[in-house]
Amino acid sequence: MNRINKKLEANKKLLSIYFTAGYPSLNDTVSIIEELEKNGVDMIEIGLPFSDPLADGPTIQASSTQALKNGMTTEVLFNQLKDVRKSVSIPLIIMGYFNPILQYGVEAFCEKCKETGIDGLIIPDLPVDVYHEEYQAIFEKYGLINVFLITPQTSIDRIIFIDSISKGFIYMVSSASTTGAQSGFGEEQTNYFERIAKMNLNNPQVIGFGISNNDTFTQATKYAKGAIIGSAFVKHVTENGITTIDKFVKSILN
Amino acid sequence: MKLKVCGMKYQDNIEQVAALQPDYLGFIFYEKSARHFEADNMPELPKSIKKTGVFVNADINLVIKKINKHNLQAIQLHGKESPEYCKQLRQENIEIVKVFSIKDEFDFSVLTPFEDIVDYFLFDTKGKLPGGNGYAFDWTILNNYPSTTPFFLSGGIGLNQIDDINKFKKSVASKYCYALDVNSKFEIEPGIKNISDLKIFKNNLISTIMNYNVNEKGYYGEFGGAFIPEMLYPNIEELRQKYLNVMAEPEFIDEFNQLLKDYVGRPSPLYFAKRLSAKYKTKIYLKREDLNHTGAHKINNTIGQILMAKRLGKTRIIAETGAGQHGVASATVCALMGLECIVYMGEIDIARQAPNVARMKMLGAKVVPALSGSRTLKDATNEAIRDWINNPVNTHYIIGSAIGPHPYPDMVTRFQSVISEEIIWQLKEKEGRENPDYIVACIGGGSNAAGTYYHYLHEKDVNLIAVEAAGLGVDSGESAATSVLGNEGIIHGCKTLLMQTKDGQITEPYSISAGLDYPGVGPMHAHLCKTGRAEFMAITDEDAMKAGLELCKFEGIIPAIESSHALAIFEQKTFKPSDIVVVSLSGRGDKDLENYIDYFKI
Repeated sequence: MNRINKKLEANKKLLSIYFTAGYPSLNDTVSIIEELEKNGVDMIEIGLPFSDPLADGPTIQASSTQALKNGMTTEVLFNQLKDVRKSVSIPLIIMGYFNPILQYGVEAFCEKCKETGIDGLIIPDLPVDVYHEEYQAIFEKYGLINVFLITPQTSIDRIIFIDSISKGFIYMVSSASTTGAQSGFGEEQTNYFERIAKMNLNNPQVIGFGISNNDTFTQATKYAKGAIIGSAFVKHVTENGITTIDKFVKSILN
Repeated sequence: MKLKVCGMKYQDNIEQVAALQPDYLGFIFYEKSARHFEADNMPELPKSIKKTGVFVNADINLVIKKINKHNLQAIQLHGKESPEYCKQLRQENIEIVKVFSIKDEFDFSVLTPFEDIVDYFLFDTKGKLPGGNGYAFDWTILNNYPSTTPFFLSGGIGLNQIDDINKFKKSVASKYCYALDVNSKFEIEPGIKNISDLKIFKNNLISTIMNYNVNEKGYYGEFGGAFIPEMLYPNIEELRQKYLNVMAEPEFIDEFNQLLKDYVGRPSPLYFAKRLSAKYKTKIYLKREDLNHTGAHKINNTIGQILMAKRLGKTRIIAETGAGQHGVASATVCALMGLECIVYMGEIDIARQAPNVARMKMLGAKVVPALSGSRTLKDATNEAIRDWINNPVNTHYIIGSAIGPHPYPDMVTRFQSVISEEIIWQLKEKEGRENPDYIVACIGGGSNAAGTYYHYLHEKDVNLIAVEAAGLGVDSGESAATSVLGNEGIIHGCKTLLMQTKDGQITEPYSISAGLDYPGVGPMHAHLCKTGRAEFMAITDEDAMKAGLELCKFEGIIPAIESSHALAIFEQKTFKPSDIVVVSLSGRGDKDLENYIDYFKI
């Protein structure tokens, strides 16, 4: 069983953390993963940096630009991760834009993910219909779970379609925004969270965008299986380096 | 487009027609027809040909019997068959084609009950007989086709219709046309087809014409599509579903044409450049887009898109701009319509294009600096897309070039296609013929080129030349010649050719001309490049600047540096004295004075 599915069966609310690979320093990748697992995080999204991250706000844009300057590439990332499964058992997801994956070769990329022990992928600009028609068979051949996004504007029919081809969880974008926006959830968001929860989808939902502290984490996980923190974590390592990750995780979970 | 040959009757003739490999062969199971198929067995046919049974109000059991007996892959229903009847036949696991006859007008709402039940519609001429009347209906009725179900076009199609079909293919009406259905116009007598005529038809029309227009999924060959985050899906999908219908509305067409005439100042002249022609010993015509209001072709698109935005009920407009031309054109139409306008512009471009920034502000737009990445056009586009993600409901994004996710490249191209539409009749007036030998246009994203080529894409005798910016030289590391330096990838929502590292990180182009300083080309141009339909040339800063100055001295026209790239090809390529070469003079040089002054130390 895929580690993501196994984790989703756990009887608890899940905390997933996103970080940009190669940031703040090129070789921080594995240390960050180990530190996150040690402090009780449930899932990790490893951001493969891209020059033109359309769905990201200023924090993740800046970390991506810096990571690329530091020398991060697809090849370097796979090299850094080649022994990661010797030290951690936490589900690992690579989150990246489609062009770098396309240039690496979609099948070669998937094969390398399997070899490395990556469990799933989130590719925001690979539309669900293109995935379904062209790439699903390849992803599944290498046992990878592809995670799709839904937003407050996604129609019911489309949510049902996305649910039907998802094999892990659905990434619920909390509001119409790029990453790292807003503070706190209003009535509009909680109505949307409730609406989706009531649909009783086959796949559990994990909420992302706009989760930054214990308060927003608690609010989101009232309606969903888990929540994802990205920009707030990247901001934390920007300001504090990677030695106080324990403090950050504690501040969310307590 | 697929080809269906209908009314097959005799063994030998069937085999001869099958040898031409049409996609469908039709057999009529209707006793009153002169082409009634009576034989017990059909000859063995290649698997690629779908055997189609044609019925008129037949008993459903008879239809099923014929399907099984002859192993039919499709049925075509010509009578008053109901949706329920069609639904029942669905269980037979075959393609269902429902026929509707059109005379002078047609109420498309009768299609609705059949929409999810049948695979195709077939439109035939309404006459005395159920099919086979032998004359065509007015195909422009299909301009208002409201559905996305693909259809067969039928009724009186023969060799004489080849020109009409070519015109039809370029029109909105052909968007969902899946196949052509021919019958009586290719007969020696009812049921016997004229093989040589069919061969000519097929060769002329079906097999040899490569399609350079976008397909229903938004692709030009392998390029195009919509690679967008889910957050943008509702916006793009709304636009995709509505843009063709909106553009086909008579009131929309009227308003668009009226504004192009009275506000933009169209038609723009097609000017015979006498002294330049004498120098290069060929006939050079300039399509004067530089004389448009706001000084370039960009306004054609922004007028179209602002009317589109209004019809979609949007109240807030965003746009990206490099040199500021598209930003000015967007701010202009927003002022015209009283809509809020936000223009994203790279911080570096804001500094070097001060007059256009001032223009936008005077026109009431808010200019927001793009501070990320390289702080130029690419990043301004990223910022505009991010704005749209954050404001999905009330905002329309006016993309300025033939790039972006489908339907943008096609929509922008169609709004710009007025350029080639005018060249056709202007050249006819001046030279007595519609087709020039060459059409030349510069390419950044490629909107002026797309519009200048559009009506000539399928005219084989018209050579297309696309001129990219070589910057300091194609191999200098400071260039924007995407067709040479780029490879296939995804930029700003579409699959196309772009300049990138081997890791798939998009790189920074360079050109002295801000309008050509883009790391990708529109997907249509990627397709024209890959198929060899257009010849791509690269012109350096230096050659472009010289050509710009030459136009000033020879013709009294100061061109935009973008357009100067197109003019520079005459130093590199020799044309025959009898050749007619139309060059798109996409913009005027006022905005570039500073550059010209610096470059030539004027």
